[in-house]
Amino acid sequence: METRMEDAMEKTNVRYCLKCGKCTGSCPLARVNPEYSPRQMVERATLGFKDRVLRSKGVWWCLTCRLCSERCPQDVRYPDFIRACRAEAASLGVEHRCAHGDMLAELQRAMTVPRLKQNRLGWIPKKASVSTKGDLLYFVGCLPYFDAIMEKVKPDSIAIGQSVIQVLNSSGITPAVMPNERCCGHDLLWTGDTESFEKLARLNMEEIRKTGAKTVVFSCPEGYRTFKLDYADILGELPFEVLHTSELFSKLIDEGKLKFSQKINRKVVYHDPCRLGRHMRVFDSPRKVLSSIPGIQLVEMGRSRAEAMCCGVDAWMCNSNSKQMQVERLQEAKMSGADMLVTTCPKCQIHFRCVMNEKLPKAVFPVPDEAKIEVADLSELVAKALGS
Amino acid sequence: MGEVTGEEKPRIGVFVCHCGTNIGGIVKVPEVVEYAKTLPDVVFADQNLYTCSEEGLAAIKLAVKEHNLNRVVVASCSPRTHEPLFRAACESVGVNKYLFDLVNIRDHCSWVHMREPGKATEKAKDLVRMAVARARYLEAQQETKVSITKSAVVIGGGVAGMTTAVSLADQGFDVTLVEKEAELGGLLNHLHLLYPGMKSASETLAPIKRMVEEHSRIKVMTSTTLKSVKGFVGNFDVALQSDGEESQLKVGTIIVATGAAVLQPKGLYGYGELRGVITQLELEEMLRSGKLRKPKSVVMILCAGSRIPERPYCSRVCCMNAIKNALVIKEKYPDSNVYILYRDIQAYGRNYEEYYRQAREEGVTFVMFLKEKLPEVSPEGREIKVSVYDPLLGEQLDLKADLVVLSTPFVQRETGKELSQTLRVPLSPDGFFMEAHAKLRPVDFATEGIFLCGTARGPADVPESVGQAFGAAARAAIPMALGQVMAEAVTPMVDVDICVGCGLCERLCPYGAIKVEKTPKGKKASVAEAACKGCGVCGGSCPNQAITMRHFTNKQILAQVEAAFAR
Amino acid sequence: MDEKPSVLVIGGGVAGIQVSTDLANRGLQVYLVEKLTSIGGRMAQFDKTYPTLDCSICILAPKMIDCFRHPNIKVLSYSEVKKVSGKAGDFTVEVLRKPRYVDEARCTGCGQCAEKCPKKIPNEWEFSMADRKAIYMPFPQAVPRLMTIDPQNCLYLTKGICRVCEKFCQAKAIDFSQKPETVKIRVASIVLATGFDMLNPSKITEYGYGKYKNVITSLEFERLICASGPTGGHLVRPSDHAKPKRVAFILCVGSRDVKEGMMYCSNVCCLYSAKDAILVKEHEPDVDVVIFYTDLRAYSKGSREFIDRAISDYGIKYVRGRPGEVREDPDIKSLTIWYEDTLSRKVEKLQADLVVLSTACVPSSDAQELAKTLGLELDEYGFFRVADPLYAPLDTTVPGVYACGFCTGPKDISDSVAQASGVAAKAAEVVVAASKGSKTAGMKGG
Repeated sequence: METRMEDAMEKTNVRYCLKCGKCTGSCPLARVNPEYSPRQMVERATLGFKDRVLRSKGVWWCLTCRLCSERCPQDVRYPDFIRACRAEAASLGVEHRCAHGDMLAELQRAMTVPRLKQNRLGWIPKKASVSTKGDLLYFVGCLPYFDAIMEKVKPDSIAIGQSVIQVLNSSGITPAVMPNERCCGHDLLWTGDTESFEKLARLNMEEIRKTGAKTVVFSCPEGYRTFKLDYADILGELPFEVLHTSELFSKLIDEGKLKFSQKINRKVVYHDPCRLGRHMRVFDSPRKVLSSIPGIQLVEMGRSRAEAMCCGVDAWMCNSNSKQMQVERLQEAKMSGADMLVTTCPKCQIHFRCVMNEKLPKAVFPVPDEAKIEVADLSELVAKALGS
Repeated sequence: MGEVTGEEKPRIGVFVCHCGTNIGGIVKVPEVVEYAKTLPDVVFADQNLYTCSEEGLAAIKLAVKEHNLNRVVVASCSPRTHEPLFRAACESVGVNKYLFDLVNIRDHCSWVHMREPGKATEKAKDLVRMAVARARYLEAQQETKVSITKSAVVIGGGVAGMTTAVSLADQGFDVTLVEKEAELGGLLNHLHLLYPGMKSASETLAPIKRMVEEHSRIKVMTSTTLKSVKGFVGNFDVALQSDGEESQLKVGTIIVATGAAVLQPKGLYGYGELRGVITQLELEEMLRSGKLRKPKSVVMILCAGSRIPERPYCSRVCCMNAIKNALVIKEKYPDSNVYILYRDIQAYGRNYEEYYRQAREEGVTFVMFLKEKLPEVSPEGREIKVSVYDPLLGEQLDLKADLVVLSTPFVQRETGKELSQTLRVPLSPDGFFMEAHAKLRPVDFATEGIFLCGTARGPADVPESVGQAFGAAARAAIPMALGQVMAEAVTPMVDVDICVGCGLCERLCPYGAIKVEKTPKGKKASVAEAACKGCGVCGGSCPNQAITMRHFTNKQILAQVEAAFAR
Repeated sequence: MDEKPSVLVIGGGVAGIQVSTDLANRGLQVYLVEKLTSIGGRMAQFDKTYPTLDCSICILAPKMIDCFRHPNIKVLSYSEVKKVSGKAGDFTVEVLRKPRYVDEARCTGCGQCAEKCPKKIPNEWEFSMADRKAIYMPFPQAVPRLMTIDPQNCLYLTKGICRVCEKFCQAKAIDFSQKPETVKIRVASIVLATGFDMLNPSKITEYGYGKYKNVITSLEFERLICASGPTGGHLVRPSDHAKPKRVAFILCVGSRDVKEGMMYCSNVCCLYSAKDAILVKEHEPDVDVVIFYTDLRAYSKGSREFIDRAISDYGIKYVRGRPGEVREDPDIKSLTIWYEDTLSRKVEKLQADLVVLSTACVPSSDAQELAKTLGLELDEYGFFRVADPLYAPLDTTVPGVYACGFCTGPKDISDSVAQASGVAAKAAEVVVAASKGSKTAGMKGG
């Protein structure tokens, strides 16, 4: 886990850059922000302009969506390079700004305190079947906090968590859940606070050990990636299997454990979240699950799978460029002919819903009708289709 | 059927080619065919899609047989590529090859008049009429056999020259290897390591030199230069000079492997003015002799003196050579900064891209510059400042260096022009020797019997020079293996009754093929058929019109001229 | 089989033809084996060559015919080398001659059979942009000039019906009784000149090849612009045969690419795209042409001047920037190219009606099998490995077996032809050594 620019340069192939510009020609941010160019950032690094790189705004603007890396002919791992730059920049005292007054970051840092007594599970319905121990652990993540913090947006992220538990119960699984779960640490890791990230990682691993879980399932791709890649990076091989809900649901469908009784007659289009798609290469499971729901007609956007366009926000660092990108993506979704956009990431869902929300100040970006489309999470649809 | 000698009444066959749509797409070929049929002495005219195909050739042969043709005119493409083909077809059915004419209605007509198909068709008819007019007066000719001496002289003892010499010798021919320096090896004697593979130049040369020196069929003559060359393929008289002594050599073929010089650009980027500004060649010498002291910062500037209006060509090897030397410096002194300033990186060959990648991995920094904003080199205290505008960042970079290395291009040697005149072979606009055809005859000269390889032909690295050297050896082996070639019959006929022996033709002949000699009738011009290349300068300049060129007689040419105005 | 010292040449493209004629012209016997029904290789597919802008087939066809008719060359077309044993100076080779179902001695190549044949298939030689029949000649200047019946598609050979070709052949040349034949030859040395194929760029999904009809490869473009090609040389775009207003060329598609393609540079694309751009302008002067490049590799003789001319005389625009993606407008089928112009440092998009991808050139599909048959080593990319890239670039890892042209690594026609003559020298050295009983010749190296 590199925390310095120069160490990262070696590991992320930055020196191999051909200066061909394919990254910048692909970057969704560079299209709306002429001051941003991954290629130029890399060249400054190779020329040794360390201070200019670390103190630049561009280091924080990057969406870390990985589209550049996907296409780079020399396999430059730009997002990983950026992450290390952010870590070094933060250590030099360079500040960055997160949305919602940095509240979420403070909350996440608060969770690094070892002796914590949280009540994070109040949103779980009484009739749901959950336990503190079990073979399968549902790692909920921060979604219970979103509804509270972003009340105006009405993200209704809790519905995702409730739907997941409903689906698991319906297939005969009583998942373990942790009342003292910590934030996976994704946002802190990607905003340069590697120290806090490590603390969270160790605390989470300890909590999970207590549950005895052999499989941990995530409804959030960021948690999924952070455990599977970043925890393994600092802690070694994990003692449990890591799955995303779409992978688990797909498996349950194969095993015949999910019986769909309700038809959902909708034409839907699926948006690949960056962390699930490009970062973790999970493209097929969500599509398979959607296609298995009776009544659902699945169409694709022009830019899907590894080509998907990012929802425009990374670790809550949001600005008018993000809004522009969100509108573009929603327009693309609508142009596919679908009347619902389905995603598998609570944060993508929030960002899309936020930009369309009438109650927010219009000063930021007007949203035309061609960009207004219903947004739902995969778990909610699956739960609905199971009936009751 | 008996051979057609051309003394009978002309029975001309005209074959007009579509050449796919190259001709047929613009010229109305059927109209030209019909027109040809109206010309006197034309007894057969037809069209083909591709006359040069098996079908087309078969059609010509059939028509010759069925209609007793004794002259064949093909209206199609360029004689440069297709004349031998059609001549061979004619010969195979008993029509002497000199009773055949190829009129170019493609390069001279359809291709240059693409936007005026009507006029192009009329012009095609004119060209056919002119060709038919000449064809009437064509006569059969006999070619002379030229015997070939089975030995070669290789001019230049560098890696290309030595390789070609060894190959020829291994193929069974005697070779004289002429080298102007006291030692064999050429440029490689001054180089450190070679790419690909990073093998030392001296280690690479050693076994080759040994093969040359030990080969029973190779005679090495160092400190020797070429003084003059007379003669023609198979029979070259070569005069050499060694330490004031002259010697003569009779060879069948000549291979030019004289290499190239490296530009020393006085005044460019401070070269010759600032200490610490050197060429890559000078760097090689320093590396070879171990005299390079640890530099703090090295800035290499590519395209120094090339890809500019006075020298627009790319010198091909500089990018890889700079990368190689950058890797050498980085290996020896990992803490030194190495920058390479470039316009385009020519890492085009096998494994070259991997070397380029390795250089980036080792920390060599590449900075692009534009031809409109060349780097500026100036002294700064005890160091040198190289100021370069990087368009990819839009910024001016000031680099400090204690060593600036210029990648300068290969250029033709000072003696190159003289050698081209001695051998009567051409130079390309870039100054290097010019091959017969850029694509299909890369190691031949247009002059028969002379071949070229290595950097004499143009910038090339060791593998390329070696490949060409073997190539030149193969090409030279052909006439020598056969032992004889046929010389074209387009030679002058001197009417000794008219000739007054003024000697103008002898002075003008570029090939030394016509000389004034004493005869019982007085001083008369006499022709060495085998040396003649049929250029016609003698025929055109004889003040008494005593010379007629076979196959291009006054009668034939004037008939064409009259036919041109006959419409 | 023969008393004359012989050489086997595998591959009948321009390099193979050059080796064969150089050897034959000095009195050696040559067996030229070509897997397709005609010799000519890639050069027969090009429209024009750079930097001279010669019509490719026009300068190649005389060489093809010379080669075929040479008394010392036996062309074994539609054949493959199956087994090789022995050593330098004395190899025994088994060549499989595939049945044409057409009598070579009788067929005149008149083409009547093809006119009557009811079965149409996409013509691979035209990259499926035009059709051929089950009995076919791949292109009009084919050498040898013979028809061939394709056993995978012939109605008689697959279903037992038809035989219309037989009915109409005036030369009575159709012979369905033909069987594959194996011939054994003894040769002193072997030369490989198997050329190259082109990578299928559909895996580089961002450029839309295979999805969008108006995105084509450069080889497909050669056929499109060629006067004898599927559109008669008319510059039209595949989706609707309309004249394009702008043609864009994207270089390095799959080359210099460690992920989707090949690490190496394909060597020829920078130059041939300039040539293709000039051809566009020659055919339709008012079409806008843009070429997207990374490093412009114009290193060979006359090539830098060629590109300078393309810019100054033909108005071809060069943009330094590898495009990020190509997207199609589904209604008008035009393409939007998103790219960063790295010299102006601006992200822009450009609309083009036709996009030509200069796709990576890869070793010929039969290289692997040949390597096994001959006991040769291949390099990491599948090209024949040379004994020493510095001083023995023409020797393979097996003594007595040489290789030239693209099959040892990307190179242009001039270098291929120079190398072809080079291997002729090496092959001849083996013959000379064998005739003297010497052991040392034919194993040259640094």
